[in-house]
Amino acid sequence: MFDPKTKVLVVDDMLTMRKIVTKILRELGFTDITEAQDGNEAWARVQLGHIGLIISDWNMPNCTGLELLKKVRADQNLSKTPFLLVTAEAEQGQVSEAIKSGVDQYVVKPFSKEGLKAKLELTHKKILARKSA
Amino acid sequence: MSTGIELGYAIEKFDGYVVVKLDKKIETLSVKDLDAQISAVSSQKFVIVDCDSVGIIPREWLRTLLRVHLNAKKENKFLKLISVSSSLLSYLKKEGLDTTFRFAKDLKEAMNETGLLPKRTLDTDFINPFLAATINTLKVQAQIKTEAGQVYVKKPQEFIQGDISGVIGIVSDSFNGSVVITFPEKVFLKIISNMLGEEYTKIDNDIVDGAGELTNMIFGQAKVTLNEKGYGIKTAIPSVVTGKDHTLSGLTKGPIVIVPFTTEFGPFFVEICLSN
Repeated sequence: MFDPKTKVLVVDDMLTMRKIVTKILRELGFTDITEAQDGNEAWARVQLGHIGLIISDWNMPNCTGLELLKKVRADQNLSKTPFLLVTAEAEQGQVSEAIKSGVDQYVVKPFSKEGLKAKLELTHKKILARKSA
Repeated sequence: MSTGIELGYAIEKFDGYVVVKLDKKIETLSVKDLDAQISAVSSQKFVIVDCDSVGIIPREWLRTLLRVHLNAKKENKFLKLISVSSSLLSYLKKEGLDTTFRFAKDLKEAMNETGLLPKRTLDTDFINPFLAATINTLKVQAQIKTEAGQVYVKKPQEFIQGDISGVIGIVSDSFNGSVVITFPEKVFLKIISNMLGEEYTKIDNDIVDGAGELTNMIFGQAKVTLNEKGYGIKTAIPSVVTGKDHTLSGLTKGPIVIVPFTTEFGPFFVEICLSN
């Protein structure tokens, strides 16, 4: 599992959803959590550095989670940042597009603490495998 | 069935029609197998030729399309050109074919004119995914058990009262509609308190968008199920209405069904409206 000191960026235009994700992350032991309201705000935060994990909603006004993912993956310094997309609409086309764009995992709403934990563990394993490759 | 665009066209077969997408390459390529490929799917009643990418259709290609059109006509089928630019239309006029072919602005218009867009109704096929999504959302995200009551059609002068509502539009190529989820304050506060793991006693800015998020989750799950059945519902962003004992009306023209839900904390209502 991720080091609990990992700086996590939670991105969602809905305050309630940011609170839900943050609550679960705290319950899982994470202590350094920051929030952004959309992809543009998140992109500004990510560029400041030190973000070790991004959990972003997909469907947001201004800059969607997918657009944010593409920006992160296109940046040489940030491209390896673990990235989870959260969506209420896991349609096959969308999932394929997210995978093609380099998402590590996607989380389908509604989700439980166990559900998010399992996705984080899968992401962590993937990151380790990527490092050892 | 789909063919390589290297031939200058791609054919996609759908239920009841085929779309032939012409590529710009036709301006320099010879026709190869176009009529044979279309006849291979001749069980389809309509052939729609998408001209969006082409500025002109060379004579050789026009002759083939004309042959397909005439053959289709003999069998009481037809061919329709869509996304035809004004320059292409002028060119077709010059070739004397503007009255031979049938045209439509786009695929939606072509399908509408040919009756290919299915009429959608507020039947169990459409409603059940919303019921299942509502029950699942409250169970997973708020650990609240809920049951759907008897679904009924909203009467003309009937209004559902509540203190907070989540509203989302249903938009597809063939129909529109809306989903409204209306909660009494007490029920909403209990759901949100469970979701966030802390007790809330009034609806304030900290939790008001929770109604939108619940609506979004329910809509999202139902959308996946319905789109697997070909409904083609598009992504939408929810909004929230608050106000003690408010009612909502006239969001979408069309019949509305109401699904009353019960929880141990009280009832809430899901209204689904659909118009073709």
